[in-house]
Amino acid sequence: MRIFRCIAAGVAVVAGITAVVWTQAPPAAGQGETYRAPRTVEGRPDLNGIWQAMSSAHYDLEAHPARPAMALVPSPPRNGIPGLTRATPIDLPAPGIRALGAVGGVPAGDGVVVGGAIPYQTWAAARRTENAANWLERDPEIKCYMPGVPRATYMPYPFQILQGADRILLAYEYAGTTRTIHMTEVKNNPTPTWMGLSRGRWDGDTLVVDVSDFNDQTWFDRAGNFHSEALHVVERYTPASPHHLMYEATIEDPKVFTRPWTIRVPLYRRLEPDARIREYKCNEFVEQLLYGELGLVDPATGRPPK
Amino acid sequence: MRHRATVGRALTLIGILGALASGCGASSTPPAGGTGGAWTPPRTPWGDPDLQGVWRYEGAVALERPKEFEGRELLTPEEIAERDRIEKEQAANRLAGLEGAAVGRRSIAESPIRGNEYNSFWQDHGRPRQVSNRTSLIVDPRDGRLPYTAEALKAEARAQARYGVGPYESYLDPDTGERCLTDGVTALLWQGPNGGHNMIVQSPGYVTILHEEYRDRRIIPVDGRPHGAVRQWFGDAVGRWEADTLVVETTNFLDRTNYEWANIWTRASETLELVERFTRVSPDTIEYRITVEDPATFARPWTAVVPITKLPEETQIYEYACHEGNYALPNLLSGARAQARSRTSSR
Repeated sequence: MRIFRCIAAGVAVVAGITAVVWTQAPPAAGQGETYRAPRTVEGRPDLNGIWQAMSSAHYDLEAHPARPAMALVPSPPRNGIPGLTRATPIDLPAPGIRALGAVGGVPAGDGVVVGGAIPYQTWAAARRTENAANWLERDPEIKCYMPGVPRATYMPYPFQILQGADRILLAYEYAGTTRTIHMTEVKNNPTPTWMGLSRGRWDGDTLVVDVSDFNDQTWFDRAGNFHSEALHVVERYTPASPHHLMYEATIEDPKVFTRPWTIRVPLYRRLEPDARIREYKCNEFVEQLLYGELGLVDPATGRPPK
Repeated sequence: MRHRATVGRALTLIGILGALASGCGASSTPPAGGTGGAWTPPRTPWGDPDLQGVWRYEGAVALERPKEFEGRELLTPEEIAERDRIEKEQAANRLAGLEGAAVGRRSIAESPIRGNEYNSFWQDHGRPRQVSNRTSLIVDPRDGRLPYTAEALKAEARAQARYGVGPYESYLDPDTGERCLTDGVTALLWQGPNGGHNMIVQSPGYVTILHEEYRDRRIIPVDGRPHGAVRQWFGDAVGRWEADTLVVETTNFLDRTNYEWANIWTRASETLELVERFTRVSPDTIEYRITVEDPATFARPWTAVVPITKLPEETQIYEYACHEGNYALPNLLSGARAQARSRTSSR
């Protein structure tokens, strides 16, 4: 209840905060002195609430222009028509998503990588390009697989911070995934995992989360940015106003990158008076895609699959 | 996936075998409706009763009363002692690899048990189950049986007959568990192949229950807000504290009665309503009481009382990547196709 200190709000307020944040330079790491977060009864900074990123980082962490779709095919050359030699100047949406029109388009983004570019090793840069070219087949988000870290944070779905005494939960709407941040000692995972193992501590007002024990199945965005099992992420959640957190994640993976690199994305409080994390049980939504043609009958047509 | 129905069956089987069974272990569990005496439950820093930890049902009592106990709600002390002896013997046998797959002790190939190896792989054989004097978890109706409507009884019989048999014409034919969706919210607190591990985490205004299997999650507001408008697989839950008891009322379920469910008594329907009461009656026991009302499935409401046991403090629940690793579903479908082809070609 008291979590929703600001009950009214609405779009205008959110937009206002957004404007303020975007016109300010992002604070440097650990710099939270200008704002002191409210405290829980135990005296910890209170991060409880429902949060969501507003950025195009989920499309591509790096700066990118707007384009017609995540999956593009070259427009065909115009052969045989005298005087018309130019192809359409931009690539076209791949056939599978063409019907979405503008809804399938990708808004531009200024990028959230500090310093601009992800420092890939040479082989890995080529692999990223290949991933992007095969986005429809390869992006785990399309298959409703758990999104991994930090991707879960800036997907276009809200997540809730439920701040208990020894455990802090991050409850993501997408795919019903939950992370437990252990504030007390915990053993490593017995096996690599999609969402990793999270160990938290407080650094002033900042919740610092060390995340390890990943598998190599998740991506960072829809642009094919990826990692190996050696991924190690350090996240920092810093309250920056009553209604926003600065999120920072330092990504380390010596098998894929030449050095650690950092992203920075503001997270905004969802201010609707009854904001809640709802179910997004998307494996039900992708069964036709994944299994439609495997059975004796395709439920989409009611007939045997081709 | 395949396993969960097994637990329901295992519980039934245990109930049947449990014409045996005995009673220590149950001493820490007060009878249904017990008050817990002078013990004062701990509080969270913000003053709510503290239910936090990892919990599971470790009891040997089946949901429904086995036929041989018809008309009897309670066991005699002799029956309880015998049942306890058998539970302990079975637990020891499992650890020794004489029953079930006994993971880590004996490979599935070496197991002397045939036919249920895969499913027993998923069972937690760590500790003997606790017996009690009860013959069913269901306390109402008094006969200890699920009060199915005639139609639902047929649907349940159909579900049982399809189990492991099919037909599997498409991804809609396996049950919701095999599709990595859920086995339903009704039995969340006491079912699941891992013994139904549930982690409860509290924060001001919320009680969150994370069920390991299918990573089922319930974020329950306990701040006095009304129900929301959105129908969900898990419905819309709102909670409140009545003295030391958490009372959760859940409504607004989606209609998923047209899906296959391993046990139809856990299925989601638009008329399903749950009232659950969580009372910590001792440091290691929550008395969990659930009342289920759904005219789509039951002729009248029913109530079960389930003692839930707290596991050691260091217990974690782990990531359940069911859909991500669902090889069973495509294999089931390609197997059905291969069967159909071989039937055609042998004609």
